[in-house]
Amino acid sequence: MSPNRQNQLPATNEDTSGPYFPIAFGDPALEDLTRFEVGMVGQATGTPIILRGKILDRHGDLAHGAIMEFWQANAKGVYRTPATKDNPDVENWFHGYGRLRSHTGYYEFRTILPGAVAERAPNITITLFSDGISRVVTQMFFEGNDANADDPILQTVGEDAPKLIARHDGRTAKGEEVYLFNIVMAGDGETPFFDDLES
Amino acid sequence: MTRQGRLLEIGPTDNTSDQRTPRQLLRLIPEEARASFIPVVPARYASNPHEWDMTRVAPDRPRADGVPIEVTGSVKTQSGAPVRHALLEVWSANHYGRYRHVEDMSGLQLDKNHLGLGRVLTDEDGNYRFLAISPGAYLARPDIGRWRPKHIHISVSGGASRLITQMYFPDEPNNQSDPMAILMGDAFERNIGKPFEPANNDLDEAYRFDIVVGGRNATYFE
Ligand SMILES: [Fe+3]
Repeated sequence: MSPNRQNQLPATNEDTSGPYFPIAFGDPALEDLTRFEVGMVGQATGTPIILRGKILDRHGDLAHGAIMEFWQANAKGVYRTPATKDNPDVENWFHGYGRLRSHTGYYEFRTILPGAVAERAPNITITLFSDGISRVVTQMFFEGNDANADDPILQTVGEDAPKLIARHDGRTAKGEEVYLFNIVMAGDGETPFFDDLES
Repeated sequence: MTRQGRLLEIGPTDNTSDQRTPRQLLRLIPEEARASFIPVVPARYASNPHEWDMTRVAPDRPRADGVPIEVTGSVKTQSGAPVRHALLEVWSANHYGRYRHVEDMSGLQLDKNHLGLGRVLTDEDGNYRFLAISPGAYLARPDIGRWRPKHIHISVSGGASRLITQMYFPDEPNNQSDPMAILMGDAFERNIGKPFEPANNDLDEAYRFDIVVGGRNATYFE
């Protein structure tokens, strides 16, 4: 982050999304990145996966009504950003951004197994918005990937690393690899969350 | 001194905040991993042309109860650059403090003419505009008599800019006791819409609400 904040405008405060983020704002295409548009030819290359789990609060109860946003590289390990516009490995049918609202606190997100970006293990950034918080951000990894041992995020969290690693749970009849990943928002077993502002 | 991340504060008198706010310090993102934390939201927006007017369910239907207002402003990054073609997703309660959301169990009065949600885009200069019904305050904690002041929820996404915020109204009695306002402290001022005289006499009130996306949601690709 730029250390020179003198000339910067003060940012609008983040605020809680509250419990009533409109379900009507949901977009099926953002809840399943394995196909770009519903009913259209055109899909991303790579291994389709299903990421599923629970969002839990301090009492171990399901945190209902949370909005989850996902951000990841494609199967070749390339993020689709303005900086990679001319990269031949960017795919037309994969933007890497997903969003869903979990009514119950259970979630299921279909996507493509991300490839490894230089110096990093394959990962998905997950942002949570919900009632009671403005936002929290974490990053999840995949069980059994050799690159996990050297990943800077997993190294930063030390003994909490297992809390960021999704467990492989076999595959579906259609061949999608299933990964389980729970997020504990607060209390016992709390998931490590990340930020780039110092206290 | 070792660098440490922030401890998020828990909203006073807010049960959900107590249940969901992490108790550990946030972990600082290592430099090598920073870029991976900045989503770029694709410009694949759903926005129906009539949704800029949330005071009625459709252009040919009557206006909902209450005070029709205009809300307008700019969306900028902290360095002052306009955020063009950003999506604003807006939702608010009706005149009686009731959301149309199926999970709003407050039992407050519904208004069949109230749209109460909508999506608008910022223009070439990063400006936006929408009409809404001035929302009612609602009793968020009946057990302790704590009200949520009038507010409009706004989510902004455009490129690497991402923010969910609320616009509040000036001089509202419940502003002081609101847990989110208390957490914001003096900075709460920035989240209050500034009244101006509406140009259109079809509208009772108008507010300017300029949004600056920044802080930890910095736009890294400027
Ligand atoms: Fe609200």
